[in-house]
Amino acid sequence: MEFHYNKPEFVDGELDFHRFVLLVTHRYSDRIRFVGELEVAHAFVEGLEEAGELELEQAYLDFLFSRGLNIRAGLMLMPVGIINERHEPPVFYGVERPLVDTALIPTTWFEIGVGVHGEVGRGWRYRAFLTAPLDAERFTAEDGLRDGRQKGSRTNAGRLAATARLEYVGTPGLTTGVSVWTGRSGFQFRPRFDVPVHLIEADARYSFDRLELRAEAVQVSVGNTPDLNDAVGRTIGIDPNVAKTMRGGYLEAGYRVVSGARFGDIGAFVRYESVDTQHRMADGYLPLREFDRTAWVVGATYWPDADIALKFDYTMLRNRSVSIVAPNSFNLGLGWWF
Amino acid sequence: MRRSFWLVCVSVVVSALGTAPPGGLAAQQGTESKAEPVVRIRAERFTFTPSEVRTTVGTRLDIELKSDDTVHGFRIIGTDVNVEVPKRGKGSVRVVFTPTTPGRYTFECSHTCGAGHSFMRGVIIVEAK
Ligand SMILES: [Cu+2]
Repeated sequence: MEFHYNKPEFVDGELDFHRFVLLVTHRYSDRIRFVGELEVAHAFVEGLEEAGELELEQAYLDFLFSRGLNIRAGLMLMPVGIINERHEPPVFYGVERPLVDTALIPTTWFEIGVGVHGEVGRGWRYRAFLTAPLDAERFTAEDGLRDGRQKGSRTNAGRLAATARLEYVGTPGLTTGVSVWTGRSGFQFRPRFDVPVHLIEADARYSFDRLELRAEAVQVSVGNTPDLNDAVGRTIGIDPNVAKTMRGGYLEAGYRVVSGARFGDIGAFVRYESVDTQHRMADGYLPLREFDRTAWVVGATYWPDADIALKFDYTMLRNRSVSIVAPNSFNLGLGWWF
Repeated sequence: MRRSFWLVCVSVVVSALGTAPPGGLAAQQGTESKAEPVVRIRAERFTFTPSEVRTTVGTRLDIELKSDDTVHGFRIIGTDVNVEVPKRGKGSVRVVFTPTTPGRYTFECSHTCGAGHSFMRGVIIVEAK
């Protein structure tokens, strides 16, 4: 569960009951499992006109044949990056998720699909799924792929996407992985044309005693953007200026300054992020430089209990535009898990 | 019915903040088996590390589980082993397990711990002597 207070410069603060998540699991047998995750997002919003939403984020069956080979079918999380599959608020620093995990990896990213997963040897894990693709008609210059999620809701399955992740978890404290996602994401257009989207990602997470380090890098390529921008522009009246390449990454270091005290743990962190959703443009398009962003985020988390996190951070956002100023913001969040 | 072919000896010690019950391993008495060093397994969302443990028939495995975050569970499928792993800062739990039949025994998290809970699995490979 996550409760946020966000105060960007120049505007009023906003209180948001950002996420309320219910997780349901059921064991039919030792070999068949059900997992369901229901989220109420933005239940209460002040100052903005954004409406709340009720989302089913996961609803799948796992058929567990062996350690090395299992089948999953239903509404499932895309196995991309650090946060998408591991998004419980006490396990990451910072009130809001990193920009990379918002615009380029549109967390929480889930689609309907089917696939295999398993683990071999001492910690080699894989997952490979065929799922519904993103909808390129909703890609934007600012938020990248974010609005393209179909979220399992009356999903267009005229095209399929494939996604896979290989991960090594065999060393205590270390998780490293690479993820790919590829799909043909244009299907609303007449006459039909394809918008092939390829995403490649690499990440690492290491924790030792009080220290936690994270790194993540993503590159996205979108094909046929002149046709895409032209078709969407004709539909909505504004050219979305979608880039043909977007990229981003972050480095983060966190340290539990207080650990094991009677009143709980306290950790401090610093994160450097870089996200450019206008990295390379098709011929004839100019990048909007305000969406070439970097951010320094510093903050702290107080865990009165391992499952409760009171977080604050200060985000210094910068961009390459000469006229549009990126606001700094102060964020306060309370998240818990039970 | 794998369960009927082998014997499991289980005991659990929760050493919560220095209040470990004395004599908590009493349930081991009577097992005539060779002891190996303690196998330490770290549990965190959503992995057990190591996730593969090798042993031989008749060897007493002392498994100590410690969580790096929330409460997890440790269940060896087809046996009576099913314990709760206390959350970070609340100590560890110890399982003593003596397989008498070779085979591959899957263990898994038995306490719902988040979105990837069903990925938390591992295996104990028991080889013949
Ligand atoms: Cu678990």
